Amino acid sequence: SFRFKGSITTFQRLNFLYQAAHCVLAQNPQNVELARFYCFTQKTIARRLVLRQDPSVKRTLCKRCCSLLIPGVTSTVRQRSRRRQSVTVIRCVSCGLTRTFPNNPKHQLWVDQPEAQSASDRYKWFLKYHVGNFLSLLNFVPTEAQNQPSKAAVQGDKPAKSTGAASSTPNPTS
Amino acid sequence: MSTPGKAAKKEKKKPIPVKTSLNNPYDLRWAPLEKGQKAFILNCLTETIEALGLKKIQVRVKGLRSSRRRKSKQRDSKPPEAEKTARQPGWSDEASRRQLAIGINEVTKGLEKDELSLVLVCSSIRPAHMISHLIPLSRTRAVPACQVPGLSEGLSGALGLSSVLALGFKRGDTAFSNTVGEIASKVPPLCVPWVPTEKEGQKRKLDLSHEPGQDPTPTLQPLKVKKTIPNPSKIRKPKKKKASAQKQKK
Repeated sequence: SFRFKGSITTFQRLNFLYQAAHCVLAQNPQNVELARFYCFTQKTIARRLVLRQDPSVKRTLCKRCCSLLIPGVTSTVRQRSRRRQSVTVIRCVSCGLTRTFPNNPKHQLWVDQPEAQSASDRYKWFLKYHVGNFLSLLNFVPTEAQNQPSKAAVQGDKPAKSTGAASSTPNPTS
Repeated sequence: MSTPGKAAKKEKKKPIPVKTSLNNPYDLRWAPLEKGQKAFILNCLTETIEALGLKKIQVRVKGLRSSRRRKSKQRDSKPPEAEKTARQPGWSDEASRRQLAIGINEVTKGLEKDELSLVLVCSSIRPAHMISHLIPLSRTRAVPACQVPGLSEGLSGALGLSSVLALGFKRGDTAFSNTVGEIASKVPPLCVPWVPTEKEGQKRKLDLSHEPGQDPTPTLQPLKVKKTIPNPSKIRKPKKKKASAQKQKK
């Protein structure tokens, strides 16, 4: 459906907390606790409302202590060779949790593959064709927060009915 | 689920569920180089390396087992030969080698200790996450860093290594300081939005009025949301049938 699960404002909150944690560490690299609190709040909100976060965001958060992992400041990154496979090891400085990523040149996350992105492209095409105002929803600017949700609620019904027709016709073969 | 009769009547195709996920607002990328600069950088480096004569000599060990058999047979006939090459295996110039940080781990450690003045990275690296951590690292230490396409191809031959994915030059008076100065002036600045741009003068507050373009405080990036289709070939665990379990209990 064209409605966001949860609301745009919660995604805004997550986005703001994430960026605030970065800024905190940029200004004071020793203040890891505040950045950790922001990321902990971000995780809690996402867990409570069951919102999905992209791997590019989740990989920068420590799973154990929820601190923001910035290489050089709060985490160390090393290349190791595990038997025959070379591996990138990210280690959280505060809690010592290690995350390993095998260096497979052919591997690509499903989220980054072009097949998965087709949803947003179809969505964009539909918006451009039918509702021009909705484009700004994808690159959301906080100052227009008051206008957007009302429009989303009003025009949410029309696209929802025709999604069935639009999305079912170009059906990817499963 | 539904009987075949009903399915024939309605023929409702399930709409593909679209998953919305919070995307990273920061998209850290290497700054693109202009066309002429790549060749210039490579030429500079190869010239200095050859001038110094810095090279790693590796003695190839071909077939350990066969060489052992040959050695046992040839012990009596031929006098023991020292290594065929006149030089010992290793680096030709140890002092110059210490002024460089070759390899991703060495470059990372050098950046963490704030020892480097310039970082060069090869663009042929795959997957990219092996090197993506160097972008914020070098930006926080204010070290010029650049991705040069074909760095590995150009320098591996000159240095005698199989591949050079990351190269760092240490600070201080080194044999490379001239080249470092020339290259660093041509390297485009990296864009990491959350790192505040520091000005050299101490009067930051006064300068704000003169240069509105540069903000010492980072701005809030717009929200980026990713919409994806679930993976059709995802491996899922088969769901346990609750109806059969209840019948068994009764």
